[in-house]
Order: sequence, then structure tokens, then C-alpha cells
Amino acid sequence: MAESEITFDLPVTRETVADFALAVGEDNRVFFDPEEARRQGFPDVVAPPTFTVTQIFCVPRDERERRLGANLDYGRVLHGEQEFVYNRLPVAGEVLTGTMRIAKDFTKEGKRGGSMRFVTYESVFTDADGAEVLRAYYTLIETSKDPGS
Amino acid sequence: MTTPKTVTLDALTLGMELEEFVYGPLSREDFVRYAEASGDDNPIHQDEEYARSQGSPTVFAMGMLNAGYLAHAVSDWFGGPQHLRRYKVRFTTRVWAGDELICSGRIDSIENGVVHVALEARRRGAGPDGLDLPEDEVALKGEAEIVLPE
Repeated sequence: MAESEITFDLPVTRETVADFALAVGEDNRVFFDPEEARRQGFPDVVAPPTFTVTQIFCVPRDERERRLGANLDYGRVLHGEQEFVYNRLPVAGEVLTGTMRIAKDFTKEGKRGGSMRFVTYESVFTDADGAEVLRAYYTLIETSKDPGS
Repeated sequence: MTTPKTVTLDALTLGMELEEFVYGPLSREDFVRYAEASGDDNPIHQDEEYARSQGSPTVFAMGMLNAGYLAHAVSDWFGGPQHLRRYKVRFTTRVWAGDELICSGRIDSIENGVVHVALEARRRGAGPDGLDLPEDEVALKGEAEIVLPE
């Protein structure tokens, strides 16, 4: 029986923020230098806008698949879209609480016979006060087994 | 290391094209570094043989690596990442080792202090042998909403 949602903790640390920032070529001090972050009014270094994709460390794909039960065949799956809606960016030193669920699941018939299934996972991240920090929408596209001709 | 200059609303005009940022060329080492930092350890981005078994001529970049670079451009255009209120991307083609990523943006509308930006990232490069790819094509299309300080 699939669960309706998965709740997990996503710790944000100076080290994970710096590693992620370097991996997307960032050189803005606000990601690396706590003094500069404080000068700009943040309690500590700020996480880059796409940082919460690191939630895959907390809930790996197989676990997500098993618990939410989307029943996707990953040999035919592409990452179609990604969206983030921000109240603020996460900062190092906090632990976000993430709640993930399947927000959308529908199939579109293609023009040439095949169909495409769109599955959107929504993750809502809240802080220690229970306030929403940001939410993320991760949309996968599963192409049909017989793509037509 | 840098600190982007503060940008205010009155510096922006409708239809304004933002300065193009060119990142890369991307390498396989970049894919490995991103895998370690992001947790996306799908072997299709790192393991040549696995990629071929999945019908790809070679490994290619994670979509979110490209989206991370485009978000980097957005942050730098508007004086820092903290001004983002929404960021959305759609992936239109794969990006390969050796490709440069060219990020561009245009101010689409400004409503009630919210700046709507149309985004695009193009891949530019020869692409892998065996695929007859254009040298320059759109790999990501997106949009962002920005709120700037008064």
C-alpha cells in the first residue's frame, strides 16, 4: 500500500552548501563566507536556489518509488520540468523538514500514436518554526513502450 | 569570489536583454562533482557503458546541473540569489561534455514590483560522435520571478 506522503529532514550545512555551489560554478561570497552573508543580513551562508535537489540524499529514488508508488519504469523516464517557489532561501545551520507527495499524474496522447505520462512530485520545505521556506516541483515524463512510428 | 552589485527596479526596462553568460565547456569531471554534491548518482551521467546500454552514445549532464548554472546566471543578473521568488525550467535537449552553456534572459513584464524574466540556456558544441547535432541549440527554457529591494 503506497503512502500519501514522505516526511524527511534536510540538514543545511556550510559544507554541503559550498560543495553544491561549487558544482554549479558559483563564486558569489554569500554561498561561502559567513561574514559576508551576515553583512548582507543573513544568519549564515545561503543555499543556492536549486540546493534542495539534495533531498535525494534523504529519500533515494528507490525509496521514493516504493513508498509513494508511482510505478514508473525508469528506463523510459526523462526529467521534463523543475520549478521552485521561494519565500526565502535556506541558510546553513538549519534543518528543513521536507514533505513530499505526488501532486499530479496524468497521461497525454501524442500526435503520432505514443503517449506520455507526466508525474509531478511536490516537496514542501518548512523551517524550525513550521514556516514554509520553499517548495519544489519535480516533473518526470515517462514515454510509452511503443512510441509509434 | 565576488559579490554581485545591487540592482534596483528602476534600472530595468521592459524587453531588456540581460548580459549573456557563457559557462563551461562542461566536462565529465563536472558531472562527477555535481553527482557528489547533489546526490544524483544516476550512472547515465557518469558510466560510459551504462549510458550506451540505455541508448545514449555517451554520458550527458544532469538536467539540474544545467538548471543550476542558469539559476547562477539569474542570481548574478539581479544582485544575488535572495531576490528569486520563483524559478521554473523545462528541459528540451541533452547537454554533452565539451558543450558550453550560454545563458540568456529578457525582462518580460514588471507587475506590482515583481519582475518576470524569460530564460533560455543553449548548448554550443560539436556533440558526441554518432549524433548529428546542431552546433547551437536550446537546451533549457525557463522563467523566473524576482522581487528587488526598493
